[in-house]
Amino acid sequence: MQPLPQALPAPGPGGPRPAAPLLALLLLLALRGSAAAPAGSEGPQGSAAAPEGPQDSAWQRDSELPHGLLQRAARAALHFFNFRAGSPSALRGLAAVQQGRAWINSKKECQVDLEFTTEHYNPEEGEERLGKCSAQVFFKNEKPRPTINVTCTRFMEKSKRQQEDYLLYKHMKQLKDPLDVISIPDSHGHIDPSLRPIWDLAFLGSSYVMWEKTTQFLHYYMAQLSSVKQWKTDEDAIDFDYTVLLHEFSTQEIIPCRIHLVWHPSKPLKVKYHCQGPQAPEEASGIEEGSAAAPTTGLTNY
Amino acid sequence: MKPLLGTLYLLGMLVPGGLGYDRSQAQRRQEVVDKTATPWSSLETYPYNRYHPMGEIYQWMSLIREKYPEVVTQHFLGMTYETRPMYYLKISQPSNSPKKIIWMDCGIHAREWIAPAFCQWFVREILQNYQDNSRIRRLLKNLDFYVLPVLNIDGYIYTWTTDRLWRKSRSSHNNGTCFGTDLNQNFNVSWCSIGASKNCSDSTFCGTEPVSEPETKAVSSFIESKKEDVLCFLTIHSYGQLILMPYGYTKNKPSNYKELIQVGQKAANALKAKHGTNYRVGSSIDILYATSGSSRDWARDIGIPFSYTFELRDNGTYGFVLPEAQIQATCEETMAAVLSILDDVYEKYWYSNSAGKVTSTTAVLSLLMSFRSLF
Repeated sequence: MQPLPQALPAPGPGGPRPAAPLLALLLLLALRGSAAAPAGSEGPQGSAAAPEGPQDSAWQRDSELPHGLLQRAARAALHFFNFRAGSPSALRGLAAVQQGRAWINSKKECQVDLEFTTEHYNPEEGEERLGKCSAQVFFKNEKPRPTINVTCTRFMEKSKRQQEDYLLYKHMKQLKDPLDVISIPDSHGHIDPSLRPIWDLAFLGSSYVMWEKTTQFLHYYMAQLSSVKQWKTDEDAIDFDYTVLLHEFSTQEIIPCRIHLVWHPSKPLKVKYHCQGPQAPEEASGIEEGSAAAPTTGLTNY
Repeated sequence: MKPLLGTLYLLGMLVPGGLGYDRSQAQRRQEVVDKTATPWSSLETYPYNRYHPMGEIYQWMSLIREKYPEVVTQHFLGMTYETRPMYYLKISQPSNSPKKIIWMDCGIHAREWIAPAFCQWFVREILQNYQDNSRIRRLLKNLDFYVLPVLNIDGYIYTWTTDRLWRKSRSSHNNGTCFGTDLNQNFNVSWCSIGASKNCSDSTFCGTEPVSEPETKAVSSFIESKKEDVLCFLTIHSYGQLILMPYGYTKNKPSNYKELIQVGQKAANALKAKHGTNYRVGSSIDILYATSGSSRDWARDIGIPFSYTFELRDNGTYGFVLPEAQIQATCEETMAAVLSILDDVYEKYWYSNSAGKVTSTTAVLSLLMSFRSLF
């Protein structure tokens, strides 16, 4: 029924390999309906041919890889990475997914292993550097807050990053009160260069929110910073209270979120948030103290 | 008040000799209809690398057809929910031979501003170059271009006046408690079966029934009436950097899937050659997610062979709010992709080497006629 499981190279920029059927819907329907193993093997043993997968024998190799799933996993991993790095000058965006595999178990939990390239979120003139990451993303059945293990190649010298962050910090401390800012970017996509650091910092805070809200079916982009409620720089850290509009791709909804973050270049990021709209209470809001959960080993490799 | 103005505007367009109607009168009406209109006195100064409110786009259409009357005519397609006129531009080189049709629409989703910007760019490129550029001249020998610069006019205006990130139309539901239908889930193809919502407050609301919306009805009826002659149906969206082919509502592939992939991939390569932008190519359900009732799927299922959705820049960094600074590069690369598709379509039906693929009698007749003209 299913072909022998093999590592399917995910479609690169050139487009999907015609030989790989990428059937998100079919996969999900099959998973919902079936108690029996969808993979070719009998019984609960799972695919013996995929040794890199989880060791638990309850895992089935998912050879019909919905391409959308890899993208969602990559973005979740990047949101988590950006949040953990806590560095508004070194934010990364997704360049391309290179390859990935997924496993699913009887509890409909989904693990995705993948490799992808990244680019600088805020590239300087002519900057073309690509970074490379590998990640393990574990989705609990339709529940948000996927567990992420991500390692990325060195993108920027650590000292340079710290320097850039500190420059940003100084710039922010000198900014006149941006409370009258209506939206960044404006309707035409413009961001005043002097306000760019606000956008970057807002994106950093939003990364935490977007990571937490991502599931195997839902993934988010930051569409617009819609208002600045508070911008306090009189103390050591930048105290930033703002609302952001997140765009969820599969429902196409725009979700307003109120985010409050406290940032200082040499301290862990603190984020609190509350998003509007119909969702389970545990998804609607969250608090993270940057130091509360230690980064997993091999998280970053600056 | 608005319906009255809309009707007045419409009448203004249809007054006999009215395609050369008094522009100052129309300008005044337009300024009332859309206060943000800036009068552009000539096309030479019209900035294609900026976003334009609807009033300016109406004006631009008039300027275009006044400047290129030998090849451009403006046609009424229907009225929007808020009774604004929908116009498409027909670009057609006068000739004795019958033509086939390329259809392109932009802005079915209100917030995707780069799409109408591209439609305007496309028209400008064709008209500025059709006389000197042999590639475009060749296309216009046998193809007419029908371009609808903004399909969801009410929604587009709403993104200028009220909510930049609005997606749907502005039809009223549930006694005015709920607004808008996702026009791209409202076409009569597996309507509302998957990926769409029956809840009118959702962004993917499919409408009250297939083709319930006047905008969808206008496009549907028109394309249906011309479907024998439409070879290519292109619908322009953002964002995601994708070239999508049918289907979204099923994992089944259209009969010409391999060909669609080939042509699409070639277009993506042409696009990338311009500025290095990466586009992915595939069927909507494979690359994106399952959806039903889309115009692209509907077009394919009524028999239009080449039916594509373009999702333009970017990949999520700015998303719908793509900076104006990127309009030019986006339009240039997209133009390369669209021309690549049009070349393939042309060569399939009119290039004498592919005689085996010619299926329509009119195409054969055109061939015979062009051979005759050699003697």
